[in-house]
Amino acid sequence: MGWQQSLQESDVSKVRTIYLNEPLRNSFCKNVISTAKYSMWSFLPRYLYLQFSKGANAFFLFITILQQIPDVSPMGKYTTLSPLMIILIISGIKEIVEDYKRHMADELVNTKTTIVLRENAWKTIMWKEVNVGDIVKASNGQFLPADMVLISSSEPQVTCYVATSNLDGETNLKIRQALLATAEMQTEKQLSSLSGKIECEGPNRHFNTFTGTLYLNGESPVPIGPDQVLLRGTQLKNTQWILGIVVYTGFETKFMQNSIKLPLKRSNVEKVTNVQILVLFWLLLAMSLVSCVGAIVWHEWYGEGIWYFRTKDYSSLSFGFDLLVFIILYHNLIPISLLVTLEIVKYVQAMFINWDEDMHYKGNNVYAMARTSNLNEELGQVKYLFSDKTGTLTCNIMTFKKCTIAGIIYGNFGYSESSPFFLSLSPSVISECCEFNDPELLQNFENGHPTKNYITEFLTLLCVCHTVVPERDGKNIIYQASSPDEAALVKGVKKLGFVFTTRTPTTVTVEAMGENLTFEILNILEFSSNRKRMSVIVRTPTGNIRLYCKGADTVIYERLSENSRFKKETLSHLEYFAKEGLRTLCVAYADLTEKDYQQWLREYKKASTVIQDRMQSLEECYNHIEKKFLLLGATAIEDRLQARVPETITTLLKANIRIWVLTGDKQETAINIAYSCKLIAAHMPRIQLNANSFEATKQAVAQNCEALGTRIGKENDLALITDGETLKYALHSEIKRSFLNLALSCRAVLCCRLSPLQKAEIVDLVKKHVGAITLAIGDGANDVGMIQMAHVGVGISGNEGMLATNNSDYAIAQFSYLEKLLLVHGAWNHFRVTKCILYCFYKNVVLYIIELWFSFVNGFSGQIIFEHWCISLYNVIFTSLPPLTLGIFEQCCSQKSLLIYPQLYRISQAGNTFNTKVFWFQCLNALVHSFILFWMPMKMLENDMVLQGGYTTDFLFLGNFIYTYVVVTVCLKAGLETQSWNKFSHLAIWGSIIIWLVFFAIYSFLWPTIPIAPEMAGQVNMVLACPHFWLGFFIVPIVCLILNLIWKSIRNTCNRTLLEDIREMESSRAQGLHPPTIFKRRYFHTVHDFPKLIKCMPNRHLELHIPSSTGSYSVTPASPKVLLSVDGNFILLVS
Amino acid sequence: MKRTSEDGQSKLPDNTALKQQQLPAYRLQLSATGVLSCFFATGVFCLGMGIILILSAKSIKEIEIKYTKICGNCAKLREDATNFDKECTCSIPFYLSETMQGNVYMYYKLYGFYQNLYRYILSRSNSQLVGTDLKDVGNCAPFSKSHDGTPIAPCGAIANSIFNDTIILSYKLNSSIPIKVPMLRSGITWWTDKYVKFQNPSSINLSSAFAGTTKPPCWAKPVYELDGEDPGNNGFLNDDFIVWMRTAAFPTFKKLYRRLNRIQYFIEGLPAGNYSFNITYNFPVTRFKGEKSVVLSTLTWSGGSSLFLGLVYTVTGAVTWLASFSMMAVHLTLKDRKVLFIQQ
Repeated sequence: MGWQQSLQESDVSKVRTIYLNEPLRNSFCKNVISTAKYSMWSFLPRYLYLQFSKGANAFFLFITILQQIPDVSPMGKYTTLSPLMIILIISGIKEIVEDYKRHMADELVNTKTTIVLRENAWKTIMWKEVNVGDIVKASNGQFLPADMVLISSSEPQVTCYVATSNLDGETNLKIRQALLATAEMQTEKQLSSLSGKIECEGPNRHFNTFTGTLYLNGESPVPIGPDQVLLRGTQLKNTQWILGIVVYTGFETKFMQNSIKLPLKRSNVEKVTNVQILVLFWLLLAMSLVSCVGAIVWHEWYGEGIWYFRTKDYSSLSFGFDLLVFIILYHNLIPISLLVTLEIVKYVQAMFINWDEDMHYKGNNVYAMARTSNLNEELGQVKYLFSDKTGTLTCNIMTFKKCTIAGIIYGNFGYSESSPFFLSLSPSVISECCEFNDPELLQNFENGHPTKNYITEFLTLLCVCHTVVPERDGKNIIYQASSPDEAALVKGVKKLGFVFTTRTPTTVTVEAMGENLTFEILNILEFSSNRKRMSVIVRTPTGNIRLYCKGADTVIYERLSENSRFKKETLSHLEYFAKEGLRTLCVAYADLTEKDYQQWLREYKKASTVIQDRMQSLEECYNHIEKKFLLLGATAIEDRLQARVPETITTLLKANIRIWVLTGDKQETAINIAYSCKLIAAHMPRIQLNANSFEATKQAVAQNCEALGTRIGKENDLALITDGETLKYALHSEIKRSFLNLALSCRAVLCCRLSPLQKAEIVDLVKKHVGAITLAIGDGANDVGMIQMAHVGVGISGNEGMLATNNSDYAIAQFSYLEKLLLVHGAWNHFRVTKCILYCFYKNVVLYIIELWFSFVNGFSGQIIFEHWCISLYNVIFTSLPPLTLGIFEQCCSQKSLLIYPQLYRISQAGNTFNTKVFWFQCLNALVHSFILFWMPMKMLENDMVLQGGYTTDFLFLGNFIYTYVVVTVCLKAGLETQSWNKFSHLAIWGSIIIWLVFFAIYSFLWPTIPIAPEMAGQVNMVLACPHFWLGFFIVPIVCLILNLIWKSIRNTCNRTLLEDIREMESSRAQGLHPPTIFKRRYFHTVHDFPKLIKCMPNRHLELHIPSSTGSYSVTPASPKVLLSVDGNFILLVS
Repeated sequence: MKRTSEDGQSKLPDNTALKQQQLPAYRLQLSATGVLSCFFATGVFCLGMGIILILSAKSIKEIEIKYTKICGNCAKLREDATNFDKECTCSIPFYLSETMQGNVYMYYKLYGFYQNLYRYILSRSNSQLVGTDLKDVGNCAPFSKSHDGTPIAPCGAIANSIFNDTIILSYKLNSSIPIKVPMLRSGITWWTDKYVKFQNPSSINLSSAFAGTTKPPCWAKPVYELDGEDPGNNGFLNDDFIVWMRTAAFPTFKKLYRRLNRIQYFIEGLPAGNYSFNITYNFPVTRFKGEKSVVLSTLTWSGGSSLFLGLVYTVTGAVTWLASFSMMAVHLTLKDRKVLFIQQ
């Protein structure tokens, strides 16, 4: 719950006091911002610290230090240092490039200019010189340099407009209004004589809250709220100029507070890898110890008689010394280049996601964005998908469709909205032509229907009770609204002749059927997700005080007065709307007496000057006046499903991904959306959990669990539907477990009316107790919690602002892109990363275990069989390319197949391609290979007479044989692992072998011209001229790999997977052969359907892949493959 | 936040095959026909090569005589290091039943001598051996300097432990006086060793070039007097020395000692008949439980015996064939099988 905690922590930050025109007393942080990780001086220490805090790098640093001890290193002093340096330099360059970009951007921002009042005159200064307490003058179109309190502006009513899209992504303009107390402060003289102080809360990251109080000398304190605050990063619009007092600067601005780095998520594969590295480290220690013991035994045996080399007396000291020697000797077992290889691989994978044209939303030109590359492979393992509804499954483009006024329902009942005609239209066209259109309403209004007054009141309410800002664009009025529902309503009533035309801070003007009505706005009681309603208190043109309220049905109904009418009718209409999948709002009003209002106003003023917990006291205060409502009716707004949502959900379900919809919306609406997006099928039985007490919840859960009986824990064709109230009890630790079991037994889960925190709690519950990979997808601020909680968070960059996107790991524009992101990128990346990791370990074990084998023939003395530099360049040059191409270009099968057969996703989802078993199997394979690679050249050269001319050889001659064979074998093994060979694979595999041979040739001629590698001198001419070398060159890699090939072939034949079949189909298609017939989407429910099949393919053996859940005919589950003889001609292999 | 959106726009992706991951690629599919034909071809090739290699290995004539036990007296004498100045010789007669055709090479072979010990291999000075810096004995511990501090040339444990037996092969023609088989002591080193890696320090004569250095403790003569017959075969350029300095990979190893000079009776090679080795036994091996032997051998196109490789090729060929036959059997039984997917 880190997200929640951080919210609470910053809530209790200290109060700050800002003294006006007393710059010396205001000492806060500078307005310089730096989003960069490093500065010129801090780069080296900080970068090194970050690198060496990674276990593997620290280990190699430790080895490097060990190597500096004289004589301890059998591989020279710098052979680990150099590859380590190369690796650090590569990732250092990446860091520098990224950081340089940040520095440039920061510099650009810091040196922007603004006008500030200094020493009684306006001065142009740079942003970084702005201090807290400064009075800043900004003009139209400018970005604001810091968070400030608005003093005055050029506009009447001291208002101004700001665009906040940088902060929250909302595209509408926001209105801000200065305090009347400061409205007249406009000249330099007035401003310089200003004295007093501002007290306000400390810096925090909430955009929409601000509590402060202005104390002007000689005047009573005035409260300052979010309406007076202009934030850094926002842009001034439609306003000539404004003046403001800076309250937060630099890192303390809300903009910067929100750019705090998110906690790092690590992928499952990475965790497994880290564990294996640790195990490998212990193995390394074990090997070193064994070798030390070997050395002691050898010394016991031979030590006395080694006259040709006076060995030191063997003591405990030299035991320790030997241990270090062997640790250095075997340390390369841990692949030094793994981290940097993975970094590069994942970086490119993330770019592939960013580049993908299939995930490019043409509508607003948005590409998918991988905001982190850590989790690329996690995308291939998702088992539980938690989806928000509004804006995620739906477009979040609201259209006012229907309403009920005084018990009469209005709305178009015409054409079906799901007809293909509409789907082909762009969203904006749809919203225009599907809008509310019912002549009956106007008829009733004009013809003096008994409900006419209600209709007038209803439409007036919709015109007045909102926070929409109208913007005139010639004749048109553009409505700027933070809530798309409000905009839809205002637009809807505009068509009916009630046009909302002007808003000033204190008035709202409505053109009702051609007649201008001005309402004085007394108070706006804002909407919040807690309150689920918003109200305005207005003085009507006739002088009455009236409270208009619109909100969720539950909160409105509990506040209705007894003599409110149409309750029943409206309720049934509400249900009807919800069934249609529409979003509903109830509207009601209450008339207030002057006395009541004045009394409440005093209460309100008191509450609004509280500094701590102001929101809470305000809400309480609002609650006191929002009562005794008279119901007018309800509105229904349609939120259309996004394109291809049902198809995507069907595909994801086939990929064995469980989809849970977590929404704040009403249960009926949610169920309806679930139907229309095919999450719940019509025939699917539903379990509804709606209880309002702990006992009831407990009982309901237990009852349902019992009803399921043995089927609990298995996937059943059931839908579980529950709400936030019930979940409050269900998530209680006592029944949490059984509730989870129940939920896991259902194919679809729907949770409605959830608070953001509950969404996160559910994700946490599944994450902790199921141990499967979870993905949360959402678009709004209320989804941030679950997006951060889930293993993978996906944000929809939609209409509801940037908050979800900014907290996500991947951002996509449409829900349907999830299909490609998971099934193609996820599956591919998982295969790629796991193959890359396994291969990196494989190649290191192959080469470096040979040192161990060699120890057995050299008396455990620590001698290495290869030349120092060849060893250290192995990872960074000779075998560095194959893992990269494996990690970047490998494709298990084509994109098309992955999308057509979502079942393929199960392979990566189950993680069978990478777990401890697979890892150690690969290590065992490497062990066998290394043994063959040592033993065969050893036997070949044992005779010592392998050269023409009878020359005898030395140990490095053997070493070069082995090294060459290792490079060839390891590269070919990469080739065997590569299932999709493109030009880069060829380059990497053949290129690596050639690079080694060229290097070998050059390296053997350096000594003594360049004082390096004397032992290599002349090796290449002898090795390459040796017939045995070439004989071994062919046979040794073949012997190694033929084992793998046979193993693979056996597995392909005996234990054929879907992947193999699809791959075969693809390759035969590529070769222009007739592919095996594949029947898609055909339903065969019973054994009686087989004759139909048989007609399709006479005289053929058939293999049926039937999902285990079908189960309509009985085949003993004990034997996975059963031969069914249907008639004389056919054999059915049922798996 | 501002920045990222700007970045995103400046880097609009384009629609290339690389970026859309649509590069043309060959799908490596282990299809039955592919694997089978590959296996058959490999099998044929391996079996063929295997037979050729085994046959050529059979054509090699090789004779090895271990002389540690035969010269037991000498071996015993050498166990005590103080007897280093006592000469001990030993003669080993043997009968060669078949003529050794072509070039014949004489090797000495040591058993249980670890030339591949880490600190042993370390104990040499390549810069000294290349003649540039005679005084560079830094790595040569524990044989870098004599007691009085003069640097040893050639320094180090490898040089110190040089094989110093003398082996002379004599041939008894018609049971009369044995004649010495003519042997060449040159041309037994790698070309790069003789001409690049080992160089004498430049001076008027060798003894002055090595002035200021002393001989290794186990050596009887200084380095510039190793070969009394051929003055060019002295100093660091002595062939036996160079051969020894290439340290072997295994504790049992051969080193080329001499090659037959094909003149007189020996133009065809070594004729069958009675021979004897006359060995001056200097090199102690019993102290480390080792053995010594002398080997006479001919070579083929692939150098020495390639019996092991021949076996490997044959076995690999056989196994691939076996595998391919069994796979073909499986494949044929499943040939008509077609795949059908039923999706729910």
